[in-house]
Amino acid sequence: MVQGGSRTRIHCLLLALAFVPGSSRAQTASPTDQEISNQKTSDREISEQETIAQLSEQIKQLQRQDRDLLDRIKILELKQLPASPVAEVGPATQPTPAQPPLAQAAEETTPLPTPASAPHDWHEVHGIQWRGFGEVDYQVLNQRTPEFASGGFVPGSAGNFYTDEFGLFLTARLTDKASVLSEIIFQEGDAQSYSVDLRRMLLKYDYNDHLKMSFGRYQTNIGYYNWAFRSAAWLQTAADRPLVMQYASDGGLLPTQAIGISVTGAIPSGKLGLNYVAEYGSADTVRPDLNGDNQVTDENNGNHVNVGFFLRPDAYPGLQIGASYYHDQISNNILEAVSGDPVPPVPGFLPPSTRYGQTIVNAYAVYVAHGIEFLNEGFLIRQVMIGGSLHFDNPAFYSQFSKQLGRVRPFFRYQYVNANSNPNSIFDDVGLRYGPSFGARYDLNSFIAFTAQLDHTARGGEPDLNGLQLQFAFTF
Amino acid sequence: MRVKSIATLLLLGLAVLSLISKGTAQDADMAVVVSSSNATTNLSLGDLRKIFAGTKHSWPGGKPIKLVTRGSGCPERGALLRLLAMSEGEYKQYWTAQVLRGEADAEPLIVPSIGIQKEALILYPGAISMVSVRDVKPGMKVIKIDGQMPGAAGYPLR
Repeated sequence: MVQGGSRTRIHCLLLALAFVPGSSRAQTASPTDQEISNQKTSDREISEQETIAQLSEQIKQLQRQDRDLLDRIKILELKQLPASPVAEVGPATQPTPAQPPLAQAAEETTPLPTPASAPHDWHEVHGIQWRGFGEVDYQVLNQRTPEFASGGFVPGSAGNFYTDEFGLFLTARLTDKASVLSEIIFQEGDAQSYSVDLRRMLLKYDYNDHLKMSFGRYQTNIGYYNWAFRSAAWLQTAADRPLVMQYASDGGLLPTQAIGISVTGAIPSGKLGLNYVAEYGSADTVRPDLNGDNQVTDENNGNHVNVGFFLRPDAYPGLQIGASYYHDQISNNILEAVSGDPVPPVPGFLPPSTRYGQTIVNAYAVYVAHGIEFLNEGFLIRQVMIGGSLHFDNPAFYSQFSKQLGRVRPFFRYQYVNANSNPNSIFDDVGLRYGPSFGARYDLNSFIAFTAQLDHTARGGEPDLNGLQLQFAFTF
Repeated sequence: MRVKSIATLLLLGLAVLSLISKGTAQDADMAVVVSSSNATTNLSLGDLRKIFAGTKHSWPGGKPIKLVTRGSGCPERGALLRLLAMSEGEYKQYWTAQVLRGEADAEPLIVPSIGIQKEALILYPGAISMVSVRDVKPGMKVIKIDGQMPGAAGYPLR
């Protein structure tokens, strides 16, 4: 109401200003005695100029008051926003000291150089923060023998459009230290069908910077990529993930999802910036074979332990160096992809009940600053038969470099996976795969990016693959 | 004619003054301010960077940190981007990524004026912000960076 009143006053004054010069012209247009009239006109003009100056000053004052009132309304809105969930904790957690008098605030309010973005956050509804992301892709691949493909890409086709993943991301703060996070993914499958995956659902409790706990379904913190890029294609520079970092449900080699507890935090280490990650949970990975045999491997993972450390040294902002160690037990239980029926074991091969101890060692060094992104990660996935000497080593790495040049970010990636092709190996469908990818991402604005990417993949014992990917990725 | 000349001179003078004031504002040290109730008196530049990058979330007593920033185009924003070695676009993208990773609830609060900045520091006891040293108001507690106050030789933020 106050705000409306001020505006009305401003409008009245503006009307008065507009009217005064007009009336002045009308009066001077009726001469009787020329000299007297000129003198009078001159006096009147001086008087009117003073009036205009006074009115102008009053308008400025009213505009200042109006702006101050708007600012105070905004701060009151801000004050109300966190109140809904946090207020339940008790008044001690959110003290609301008395506001300074309006006049004082007005005195101290400095106008903006440019109208700043409004502080109101449209991503918050009743205490729930929401975000969304998605992508629209087109891919061409010279694949003569169809392999497995996910996200809606039709294997064996010359090229087609697909939407891969559309995600809704919700968080809500319960108290100063507790919050809930969920990430719901709608992923395109065969014949434009969509499946729903609750990719992350976490009850989080951040005691302090040294102890942050999450309970629920999380993305395993094996390596950097999984942590940095999560699910949204918009976050990535390249159009797709490196093969080793693909989600297990998309044929990736790592157990990317688990349900359990994840703990992370900073270790007091001064300028070294040492942090830790510790996870204990159940992965239960079901991974489709990449070679297009329409089979999946149900790994029946036992509970896993994952421990990692990483450094963010103060002296080199943007540099992060880390390593992690993951261990669990798995089976090579092969099922039909469509029916889920067990595939009869081939004579001479190990039975599906055979268990393997799986150890995944990862090390990485990344630099992200000054517009440069330089990612380097290496993995050794080792599976050792329990009660036997049979073991499979599967090394993999990728390296990616990009540089922001205005809105464009050209990138180059090289990846290498050398999965053991022994028929008893869980990754025998992968084999040797390596090759470069290069392209560019163009940020149309802060929400939409267009990426074009060319891939060349050499495969052990199979023809090379060449592909083109075009992608619009967005967040909202 | 004479009036026109005086007016032209005045306009030129104003333009020069505004340019001078803009130049000096850009060169002014940037004070790091917190709520007066905050016990912190000194931060290392590394910790400050972690705070404004959203990787350090709480004060030593456990109080959650609330980032209060100025909008694009303000000198304070420029100092923040220099601290994080990011462009405006990278900064926006970085914070969207932080939210989608689950590392932050939301982007830092953007306030439109010094007055609101001061009120935000009162409203959020764990708030921290940057303000040009000439705009520091009563009620804003200036903290040292690497043991130095704004104005000292070698003060790292400007």
